[in-house]
Amino acid sequence: MHLLGDGLGPGDGAPPEAQPIREPLHPRLPEGGPAAANARTALLRVEHLAKRFGAIVAIDDVSLELRAGEIHGLCGHNGAGKSTLVRVLMGLVQPDSGGVLLDGRPLSLRGARDAQAHGLAFVDQELSVVPALTVEENLFLGDTRAGLVRRRSSQRRLAGSALERVGLGGLAPTRAVEALSVGERQLLEIARALHRQARLLILDEPTATLTQVEIDKVFAAVREVAASGFGVIFVSHRLGEVLDLCHRVTVLRDGRVAGSHSVSDLDRDRLVELLVGEAGSEPGAARPPARRRRPAAAGTVSLRAVVPPGWSAPCDLELGAGEVVGLAGQVGSGASELLRALGGLSPKARGEVSLDGRTLPLGSVRAAIRAGVVYISNDRKGEGLFLGRSVAENLVASRLSSISRGGALPPRAVRGAAGRLASRVAVDPRRLSQPAATLSGGNQQKVFIGRAVDRERTRLLLLDEPTRGVDVSGRTEIHALVRLFADGGATVVFSSTDLEELLDLADLVVTVFEQRIVSKRPREAVVPSTLLAEMTMGGPEPVVAP
Amino acid sequence: MTESDAAAEPLSLHRRAVAAAVTGWLGAHRTAVAAGTWAALAALVAVLAYGAVSTDGFLTVANGKAILASVGVVGIVAVGMTFVMLGGNLFSLSLGTTLAVSAIAFLDFLHLGVAAAAVLAAAIGAAVSGAQGVAVGAFGVNPIVVTIGAGALQEGVVVKLTGGRTIVPSAPLSSYRFLVTPLLGLPFPVYVLAGVALSAELVLRYTTFGRELYLVGENRRAARAAGLRVAGVTTAAFAVAGLCAGVAGILSGSYNQGASLTLSGTYTYDAISAAIVGGNAITGGRGSVGRTLFGAIVMATLSDLMLLRHYGTGAQILVKGVIVLVFVSLLNARRGGSDG
Repeated sequence: MHLLGDGLGPGDGAPPEAQPIREPLHPRLPEGGPAAANARTALLRVEHLAKRFGAIVAIDDVSLELRAGEIHGLCGHNGAGKSTLVRVLMGLVQPDSGGVLLDGRPLSLRGARDAQAHGLAFVDQELSVVPALTVEENLFLGDTRAGLVRRRSSQRRLAGSALERVGLGGLAPTRAVEALSVGERQLLEIARALHRQARLLILDEPTATLTQVEIDKVFAAVREVAASGFGVIFVSHRLGEVLDLCHRVTVLRDGRVAGSHSVSDLDRDRLVELLVGEAGSEPGAARPPARRRRPAAAGTVSLRAVVPPGWSAPCDLELGAGEVVGLAGQVGSGASELLRALGGLSPKARGEVSLDGRTLPLGSVRAAIRAGVVYISNDRKGEGLFLGRSVAENLVASRLSSISRGGALPPRAVRGAAGRLASRVAVDPRRLSQPAATLSGGNQQKVFIGRAVDRERTRLLLLDEPTRGVDVSGRTEIHALVRLFADGGATVVFSSTDLEELLDLADLVVTVFEQRIVSKRPREAVVPSTLLAEMTMGGPEPVVAP
Repeated sequence: MTESDAAAEPLSLHRRAVAAAVTGWLGAHRTAVAAGTWAALAALVAVLAYGAVSTDGFLTVANGKAILASVGVVGIVAVGMTFVMLGGNLFSLSLGTTLAVSAIAFLDFLHLGVAAAAVLAAAIGAAVSGAQGVAVGAFGVNPIVVTIGAGALQEGVVVKLTGGRTIVPSAPLSSYRFLVTPLLGLPFPVYVLAGVALSAELVLRYTTFGRELYLVGENRRAARAAGLRVAGVTTAAFAVAGLCAGVAGILSGSYNQGASLTLSGTYTYDAISAAIVGGNAITGGRGSVGRTLFGAIVMATLSDLMLLRHYGTGAQILVKGVIVLVFVSLLNARRGGSDG
């Protein structure tokens, strides 16, 4: 167990002047964590928070408590409510009921700037440092206390001390940020939080894109920051890291707190149990009996030594016609990169892919489409739909040339083709002439898939998180569509972070962790808790990175 | 984004925080901004209507013809500009220069016959601009940079070949008189504009190229992922723009009976103004030739009014500049809001 004692003293000890620590720092927090006795001095208290989005309950009666110096892990599946909770703390979402108290005073945040002003700081893998500026310029970015002109020497000194405390002491403040690694940039963000004299640091999946060495440095900085009186909330899918870094862990499940425990009371098994609930330990537990068997004709699609960009090991897969394959992996696992490579969107991908015996050239979208491969991005807005254009245009976008007669595009032909596609994917035909932006997330996704479905020549359908941002009913419809498509004889490969979805939809579950495949199992043989352990730690036993 | 989206969307907190901070206001006032564009347009039309009623000599047939006549050549360039804009490539800053180049070529080739000279001049325009389309579409170079550079390049080549002299027609006026003879009281370019605009609108609405152009302009990454020919479509859009500039050059060269680089005048700027004031999105994907024509007529009417009311040249340019600025701001604000 690694707690604050890990060779890390209280650092230079001096907390930022503006924030006296309200209680002595313990090298190791008492067992049971900051319990009721300390309630009055808790840095942050979340009380009975609830938030609904339409019919969906995002969080319900969520309470947690964080005190200065504590690193608090926040775990949960996709849809468990972590995201909503963090967004409430960021001031981006207003809760329906319940409240947040900072230092015992009710906190009502009106936006990201307001959250920052109250001393809340955020770090996630989407970094907010500006690459073109120098290290110190980034450090002072958005610093409202800084005058227009600040004396250089004092600026340097301030920059130096903040950098030193996160382990970037050797970094020249005048270096351009674009020359820094991802890990260093993340440390810089933490340094910025220090410099702004934040009280509470929220780290959201900070390690997804980092190497092990960088992760160690970030953890050291987080421990240092916590030791100087910060409260830290660490949101992660990676259970090993949570157990390693945090003092306390709160697990959310289905929008409620499934448990909040001191790490000394937890081990991996217990944590996985909290995440998946009671039903998670049986093979294919609580699943309807398999509606399908694995098709006999494997080898329709075969991947030999395929290395998508960033992957640490080549991957080999043999997939059959009519088979639905689920790539189980957390954000940053590499599943998306594999799909993109197959879809022709990664010029740097290596290896050999064949489809019905013919070699598929990697790195060209048009070649992939000609060969019958369709890729459906997880970025529906950025890389999927033409939101300002009509639903009809969105549906026919990929097959304009097959509808046209010598370059001419008769409106009747467009309407006809769009109408057929719309009925196929159950989109209201009356909406064909409306902009795609007016549809709900689920309907948008159906339109996006509809673009691929009618292609008789489509042999391989690739879906990156097909139900991301889609509500429950939309999700059922999309699953039915995917099934329909597979029953037509195509091979479907989809990625998902969601156990439910993987077990509902996939015939074969392939687990991806840290840019390589760690297991392949037919659905019937999947044990949810094992799958989750593999997705979050690489296996039932933690995999030690080389 | 629907609310259920917000619930299930994975975390990307910083991006969201920044987006919220930057575009929060716009997001909240999106309808207001869109309404603002219409309000500005309505205000502009109202000013024109007031001016029309209160200005002597405005509401006459002769003045109406004068306005249409002044729309002719610039309207053709503006139709070409619309293609560049719709495809998401902002605008071409060298169409005016290409107009002059085509005019010079036309007059110089006239001895081959009007038809041959016209085809050659238009083809030169299309090729010169199409080449810029290749740089933008296939190599991803910024269209502003490409078209500024290409404009300078064209000027250099022209000066080298002509020595800076004005090129005079290489055949007598009788051979191309029809180009400069008014028909039913309207100058010939007005009819050409009508033909060009009509065919352009048909191409945009009823061809594969037209649909693809809108889609590429709306979302280039999605277009690429959907397997659309992004480079080809971009090249074609620039070629069409060059073709329009070429046609405009033929008309302008024959009308002036001589051509040099000075012929390019303010065509580039006026064409951009027309497309913007007409309400086309400068970031692409939304708009039409009809809007551009409307914008061109509004701007021409404004010029005419100011002329009739004896505004100085400075004041005229100032007023046009302010109007373009207002519309660019409003249209961009709307786009920013919808992207946030």
